[in-house]
Amino acid sequence: MTQNTEHGPYFGEFGGQFVAETLMPAIKELEDAYRDITPNVSFRKKYHKYLTHLVGRPTPLYHAARLTDDLGGAQVYLKREDLCHLGAHKVNNTIGQVLLAKMMGKTRIIAETGAGQHGVATAAACAALGLECVVYMGAVDITRQKLNVYRMKLFGSEVVPVESGSRTLKDAINEALRDYAATSSTTHYVIGSVVGPHPYPTIVRDFQSVIGTETREQVIAETGRLPTHIVACVGGGSNAIGMFSAFIDDPVELIGVEAGGKGITSGMHGASITAGEPGVLHGQRSYFLQDSDGQILEAHSISAGLDYPGVGPEHAHLHAIGRVQYVSVTDDEALAGFKKLSRLEGIIPALESAHAIAYLEEIVPSLSSDDIIVVCLSGRGDKDVSMIVELEEGT
Amino acid sequence: MQSYSNQLDTLFVSGNPVFMAHTYFGDPSEEFSLRLIDSMTKNGVDIIEFGIPFSDPTSDGPVFQRACKRALEAGMTPRRAIQGIERIRDMGIIAPVVVTSYYNIIHRMGARDFIEQIAVSGANGVIVPNLPLEECSYVYEITREFDIHLIQIVSPSTSTARLNGILQVCQGFVYVTAVSGVTGTRDNVQTGTLGLVRRVKELSSIPVLVGFGISSENHAQALVEAGADGVIVGSAICKMYEGCLHDPFVSLNKIQEFVSAVKHGCVHGMNRR
Repeated sequence: MTQNTEHGPYFGEFGGQFVAETLMPAIKELEDAYRDITPNVSFRKKYHKYLTHLVGRPTPLYHAARLTDDLGGAQVYLKREDLCHLGAHKVNNTIGQVLLAKMMGKTRIIAETGAGQHGVATAAACAALGLECVVYMGAVDITRQKLNVYRMKLFGSEVVPVESGSRTLKDAINEALRDYAATSSTTHYVIGSVVGPHPYPTIVRDFQSVIGTETREQVIAETGRLPTHIVACVGGGSNAIGMFSAFIDDPVELIGVEAGGKGITSGMHGASITAGEPGVLHGQRSYFLQDSDGQILEAHSISAGLDYPGVGPEHAHLHAIGRVQYVSVTDDEALAGFKKLSRLEGIIPALESAHAIAYLEEIVPSLSSDDIIVVCLSGRGDKDVSMIVELEEGT
Repeated sequence: MQSYSNQLDTLFVSGNPVFMAHTYFGDPSEEFSLRLIDSMTKNGVDIIEFGIPFSDPTSDGPVFQRACKRALEAGMTPRRAIQGIERIRDMGIIAPVVVTSYYNIIHRMGARDFIEQIAVSGANGVIVPNLPLEECSYVYEITREFDIHLIQIVSPSTSTARLNGILQVCQGFVYVTAVSGVTGTRDNVQTGTLGLVRRVKELSSIPVLVGFGISSENHAQALVEAGADGVIVGSAICKMYEGCLHDPFVSLNKIQEFVSAVKHGCVHGMNRR
């Protein structure tokens, strides 16, 4: 009755498989398939082919010289996940999972999406691999992210509005889980971040680990040594885990930046590790924003991709053992980072990634010019431009 | 004759079919829930499945999602709900109470506190929809200490190997889901359900109650006739008062008739075996 914690679904005291019995057979099937199919040469070859020719990997590691000069400390490098096909790191995972589902014999794919980035990446992967795709999206998010809804439909996917709860990402996950419980014999649920019941946090981490593996090779090739610091934004935390995974055993400071929203004391934020408590939701034990009764609270962030009231269980563990430092950056600071990178480097970062950029102000000036700091630029910001224009015209 | 300390066990000894009705406490108000429970137990309901409202009820369909939302908006909390069990007992209702709570509520309060409090308040069992076999050992040990039965759920997709493992830790009865998926009413009983009831019966002598999608006297009759010890109905009852939330009390007559009919279906099914 006790799970094997050595090889099983836990990261320390976090993770697990807290799902209904109706879902357990599907989760076990996925566990077996992931173990048996993904190490095979035929899977690896196909996955690599898609990463190279569809996603456009490897993505560059870019020395941001003007940003480095402006901050006056460490050398700043950007891992350019914004240059991935579709404009964000999400596709590394969706191509892997959709390919796995196809090799498992599944014919239908479902996904949840908040801002729409993961939905778009899943829809595109399904178009490329010829599988039916249904994306659950909160009704509130559908009105906020019309362009992404249109993109998903262009790729041939159905977008289902979710009207329950707060009608955002958390509710879209609830709805996708309900669909999965009823349809798992033909359907695979592509989760978009390192969250959910085991084996999802492990699967998504492994598919995103290409970010870290490439970065490690690139930074050594260019500078002859390891970076001293790595910074990545954390919502569910998939780009961060993908980046951190290659450096866990190295003497490199790892920093995860959460959404501070309107400030931690305002209660309007998405900083689950900084300000949440351990809890159990969506199949996992991790940190969640919740009230004293255990009711889950709504997250708030200017960036829809960080608007989730929980965090992946491996992050919870890395926090608990002190391996990664988790900090937060407010909406205003992220917006300043968004503008600064655009002005100094000609690169518009996604608002999510702008949180990592913004944190450089805190840390870089106190470092020496011999230090090397790598920022995971997880996505491009074109998707955010119209929202920011509206925000500024409204004030 | 063997004597039982837990009232849930006593109930099944008679061999009569058993009807469990599920409601989320506090929807749309505490006073309505108390009246509803009182009325149902007087009209054929044998076990109250007492739901503690949660913000993210992932195993529930739209009807119970709305129920949770209304109850929370009306100010229901886990502690007030647990006090509600005491109120039920104070009203003289002796039917066994099985508390249903998603795991975060229990985790947040502390499993020991939670189980102790529901036991002291007069509950007899607990269902935790998102605590499968693999994760339940900690809570299981605590429930045994307080003589609360931890009810296990099995679904048509549960393999025989898993079924064996689950039946080993089963207490009280097995909750068989009639369909894969979530709570909510359906038109027909799926054939996989009847097969599952037979599979459980071959492996164990533990009573079997079937839920998820039961919404008529005919469903109840078919399931009991096929070997189930009884049925679980939830969303169908909620739907009946959801149509008149401005004054849910007016639905009580209709609900009485409905639960009487379901119980009649159970009895009829038993007679036809």
